[in-house]
This record gives sequence, structure tokens and C-alpha cells, in this order.
Amino acid sequence: MLSGVVTGWTFVVRSRLIITPFQVSQFQGQRTLAICLLAVAAMWVDNHYSVLQPVRYIAGYALYPAQQVALLPSTVATWMDESASSRRELLDENRQLSARNLVLELKAQRLAALESENSELRELLSASEQVNDRVLVTSLIAVDPDPYSQQVLINKGGEDGVFIGQPVLDAHGLLGQVVEVLPHSSRVMMIADSNHVVPVQVNRNGVRAIAAGTGELDRLELIYVPNTADIQVGDLLVSSGLGGRYPRGYPVAVVESVDHEAGQMFATVSARPSASLDRSRTLMLLFNQGAGQVPPPELWQDN
Amino acid sequence: MNLQSFILGASFLFVGFTLEHLPMPELLLWFQPLWILLVITILVLNAPGLFGLWLAIPAGLMMDAEMGTLLGTHVFTFAVHIFLVQLLSRRFGVYNLVQQAALVWLLALGHQVLRHWSNQLIVEWPHPVQLWMPPLASALVWPWLYSIGQLLMRRILA
Repeated sequence: MLSGVVTGWTFVVRSRLIITPFQVSQFQGQRTLAICLLAVAAMWVDNHYSVLQPVRYIAGYALYPAQQVALLPSTVATWMDESASSRRELLDENRQLSARNLVLELKAQRLAALESENSELRELLSASEQVNDRVLVTSLIAVDPDPYSQQVLINKGGEDGVFIGQPVLDAHGLLGQVVEVLPHSSRVMMIADSNHVVPVQVNRNGVRAIAAGTGELDRLELIYVPNTADIQVGDLLVSSGLGGRYPRGYPVAVVESVDHEAGQMFATVSARPSASLDRSRTLMLLFNQGAGQVPPPELWQDN
Repeated sequence: MNLQSFILGASFLFVGFTLEHLPMPELLLWFQPLWILLVITILVLNAPGLFGLWLAIPAGLMMDAEMGTLLGTHVFTFAVHIFLVQLLSRRFGVYNLVQQAALVWLLALGHQVLRHWSNQLIVEWPHPVQLWMPPLASALVWPWLYSIGQLLMRRILA
């Protein structure tokens, strides 16, 4: 086939008597080469610097109408569903939600007492007070089709103040972080992605560890855990806030199994993520003071 | 005439990006054709005076934003693809639909391989891609898409 391409090309170049709808220009090869070189340069720049972020942003604007049209069926389905639900269903739902609200308010009252107690204890320890986090509610619009990356798309973007590195939660715990921002949508890498790790600590005793994604939605792995570390099945792992990217104290996973193998330096610990990574549709973006920040590169890069 | 074909091409691309973004059931994920690649092929074959190499830049950048790949990845692969399609345009003219589909399969496969290589060159971590199924799906859709595309372009622009 390739030789066919080449001979076809020389044929076009050498003899000028072919009747084609379009004569390939003599410099078309050079032009293609130039565009390719530019593209490769752009890829390199995009990989190392964030200069090209505005370009991605503008392309995102151009894509927005097509994405909206693609999601039209689900939007219409939701609308039909809402407008067709009967008065009785709505009343039922209302009653349920009221009851739930009551329970939550009761919990909130206890929380207020706990918070004041907590701040008193903090004052005793002269530690800095934790501020309340501001959140933005968002919903999931698509899942990345690539089976090797655990990423999702959400319907909030740069126009809503979303930024790269922003922590994302669902109702049960930490879900992941924003890795790409477009004007009206963003891409979130979930904690189960095999390129993702979170610094965690055991809620029971404060033992620190690092939870790495495995590529499977229902399993994280704790890496470099010494055989002597006090970690048990059923322990809740919360974010330790050490990397600076995630805030402290949000549930990440529950330890499912701890294996000590003779002759191995580290224990094999696997945990199940607290957030329902494959089910949650409503997510929360966290605006925490200092969240999403990473320490300056001099601290963590080699050269 | 020119403005008309430009608008027609833009709406083709719009439909292509809509299809590209369409949520697919888990079972069919591996079978999603490379819609934008097919649309570009049709445009370059049917309106070669208007849609040339330059198309690779906007379409490629938008595709990069859509797929979340490094900016420039698809500009690179689309530029090579458009160049090849321009070289092969005479063959496309004389081939029947089955032969065309085979050619599209080869071109799409080349596109997949190029995308894989170019990303590996820069990012350095191995990232498996669906190499085989999308080109096959594209080849299967090609006869229908090509006929519809040509029909529309002839009807509207004639």
C-alpha cells in the first residue's frame, strides 16, 4: 500500500496530464511537514507548561454547542420525567425529604456542640482553626470511554470558578481532582485512576500512608506500608492533607484486607473507596483555602 | 457557492463532534467510529478547493479539547491524514464503496498508530489505546456516511 502511495505521488508530480478535481500542490508535503512539526512542538509545550491553556479554553467554547446537542436526549428525558411525576409521588418524596431533613438537623445540632468543643480543644492545643469549606454542587455528564483511565466529565467549568487541582467529593467521601478545565465542563481524575495517589491517614490512630489507584473502581492500594504498621481491616482512611492538594479529614477509603507476607518488606493493604465512584451523579467541588495548591517545584523535582 | 459549502462543512463537523460526544453504552464503547476523521475525509474529497490542510488545525484542536489529549496531537494526525487523502483522492474516485472502505480502514489505522506513537514520544508512560476496533467501525460506517455526505453536497451545492 505504501509503495502505492509513493508511486501515486511521483506520478502526480511528474506528469501533469491527470484530470483530477484538485491538483495537489507541489509544496503540499512541505506544508504538511511544517504543520506536523508545529503540532509536535505544541504537544511538548502543552506537556511542560500551561501557556496553551487559553487555546484549549477557546476550543472548549467551540465544542460547547455540539456537546449540548449530544446531551439533549438525556436532558429531555430528565425534563419529561420531572414533568410527568404525579402529585402523589411528589408529596411522597416531599414527606421523605422532610423526615430526612429532620434527622440531619438533629445531627447538625450535635455537630455544633462537637464543633465548639473541638475549637476549645484546639485553643488548648493552640492549633489553627479549620475553616468551613465552600462547595459548588455539580453533576456528572460523561464518563471517559478509555477503559484504562478512570476519568469523568462534570458540568461546571472555568466560568464557575473551577480550577485545575480542585478537590471533588461526593456524598460519601473523596472522589478525585480536576485535571482539565474547559469553559462549561471539566475533567476529573478519580482516586481509583492508576496515575493517582492520595496521602491518607488512619482515622483511628493517625498512621500515615499513601493510597494509590489501581485502575479498578472498587480498590485502592496502600503503598509502602511497613509490616509493623498498625492498620486493621475496617479502618477508615481519611485524607491527611499532607500533599497540600486535598484538604484534611475527608473520608477516602475503608481498609478491606491486610496481608503480611513473610520475606516482603511491605504489607499489602487494599481498601475500598468510600465515595461511590461508579454510581454518584451529584458531586461537590471544594473551594478550600489552600486546597489544590502544590508546593513549589524546587521541593519535589529532581533538578 | 463557496460560503454555502463552508457552512455545509461546518455543519458536518458539528454533527461529527455531536456524535463523538454522544454517550455510548458500555458494550459499544470499543466500537465507536472515528467520526471526525470520516467527516474530514468526506470534506476533503468533495470540496478539495475549500477544505485542505488548514482544516487540521481547528478540527485537531477541538478534538484535543474533546478527548483531553495533549494539544496538537490530533492536529498532527489529521494533517498527515488530510495529506494522504489528497494524494489518494483519485483512487477514491475510481474505487467502489468496498474498496474505499478498505482504504478508509488503512488510513484510520494509520491515524490510530500515529496518535499512539506521538503521545508516547512525549509523555513517556505507556497508555494502551483501542487500536483495532475504531478503524474497523469507521470502515463499516464509511459507505453509508460517504453516500449521505456526497448526496447532500451534490444536492445543496449544485
